[in-house]
Amino acid sequence: MAIKRGVSFYSYQQEQFFGRMDYHDMAKEMHDNLKCDGVEIISEATVPGYPFPSKEFLADWANTMARYDLKPVALDGFLDPLRFRDHVMNHREAAELLKLELKLAHDMGFTHVRAMTGLPADVAERALDTAEKLNVAIAWEIHLPIPIKPNPAIKGLFCESPGTAVQDTVDFIKKTGTTKVGFIPDMGIFNKAPYIDGIERTLRHMEDKGLAEDIRALWKEVPLSELGTEIDKRYPGKLTQAEAGAFHWKKCADPEDLVEILPYVFSFHGKCHDMVEIPGKPGQYEEPAEDFEKVIQVLKDHNWDGYICTEFEGQRAWQDMGRENLVDEVEQVRRNHEMMRRLIGE
Amino acid sequence: MFDKYMVKEGSFQNNGQDGFKFQVHVGDYRGCFLSLVRGYYVEVDGVEYPLEKQKFEINGKPPRTFDEIAKAVWEHWDFDDYATLYIDCPGGLSKGPHRLGLMQGAMVQYGWQPHDQEWIENTPLPKDLVGEQTKQKEVYYFDVEIK
Repeated sequence: MAIKRGVSFYSYQQEQFFGRMDYHDMAKEMHDNLKCDGVEIISEATVPGYPFPSKEFLADWANTMARYDLKPVALDGFLDPLRFRDHVMNHREAAELLKLELKLAHDMGFTHVRAMTGLPADVAERALDTAEKLNVAIAWEIHLPIPIKPNPAIKGLFCESPGTAVQDTVDFIKKTGTTKVGFIPDMGIFNKAPYIDGIERTLRHMEDKGLAEDIRALWKEVPLSELGTEIDKRYPGKLTQAEAGAFHWKKCADPEDLVEILPYVFSFHGKCHDMVEIPGKPGQYEEPAEDFEKVIQVLKDHNWDGYICTEFEGQRAWQDMGRENLVDEVEQVRRNHEMMRRLIGE
Repeated sequence: MFDKYMVKEGSFQNNGQDGFKFQVHVGDYRGCFLSLVRGYYVEVDGVEYPLEKQKFEINGKPPRTFDEIAKAVWEHWDFDDYATLYIDCPGGLSKGPHRLGLMQGAMVQYGWQPHDQEWIENTPLPKDLVGEQTKQKEVYYFDVEIK
């Protein structure tokens, strides 16, 4: 029983976009530098010929996992309800797509499919036979703003009842006794401060350059978590809604909320945007917006066994810049793993 | 996302006397089912080239209209593949520098959204295909050259 480290290849999306890394390179980086073995992929980014890849690809995938001694953990599938263009995808059709993903995950050796946030329980129910037969689980992602504890006030996102989606799925698991349905919580639901990349992007584009400079100075004085409210106090009405939004932050769950659902948690998304050096601790890094520390403590306290897969997402905010200013994804993931190794106590 | 990098460098050129063409990468972190590609907002030197003047070449098949692309519900545009966008413009563009405005219109999203039925019945044009989750929010401008 242990907390293990993994990487979602999503983290290297920019390297892949520019043709500098493919799945072989990512696997090698995990083996040679990160010294971890849990692999998560976005099916629609990694699998050529998706959703019907060639036998050659499947053999090469298995071989790559074997070469670098890696374990396929989660295959992330999507749910695009407008795909048929002449009607909105219904729940029965969504279950058929999920079955396709389960078969693909099985063929590639994954233990579970990361299904869409807020997956309605009846979609999971319709795909359950396939999941049981193939021994591949359906784990949907708990992503901001979906809470772990029910909050019916949350509406209008992902599905008909996002505010109670976790509870609906827990009820379904208890009713059926299945071990093939559960969750992948995203670290972003436990946020504790705004993301630095969003702040930098906003400061870069603010029309009032003087105000941007003042905010930059203020950022050095107040805790990151309080920057938004402090700006509201000092500069009321001076920022657009979108600008102000970058300095504020939201969470929708506490790490302790996990306890109730831990038996059904298949893996975590180790979301991070900005891995920065901890002041006074050279070579040690933290993500000031995320609460990895408390989450990992809860997992240790409850002897949870599974993977936290790094999901580095800090590249997008810099893509208005030239190539020389883009973020180094490889370095950011390495920093995230320095932090995880330390917090896990490897 | 990736707006600035969606057009493949050096790919913008005339297509004989029929018009012009250039290669595009999906502006996202994943590929998508082809039918989700609604088309593009395309503008050169202030002149707009609407959907009817566009064809899309991908997966080794001849260029298709976006009405045909909308029917490709089991075909996928893979993340690693560039597609070629052909624009009907008799005579082609003049030699020299041009200003290209481009916005990808893709109906990619995360699960069901309140706008779903409306977007099926009255699908917005690429420039208006903007939601909280769409990866392109505005037209991006490129300096290109016909050699």
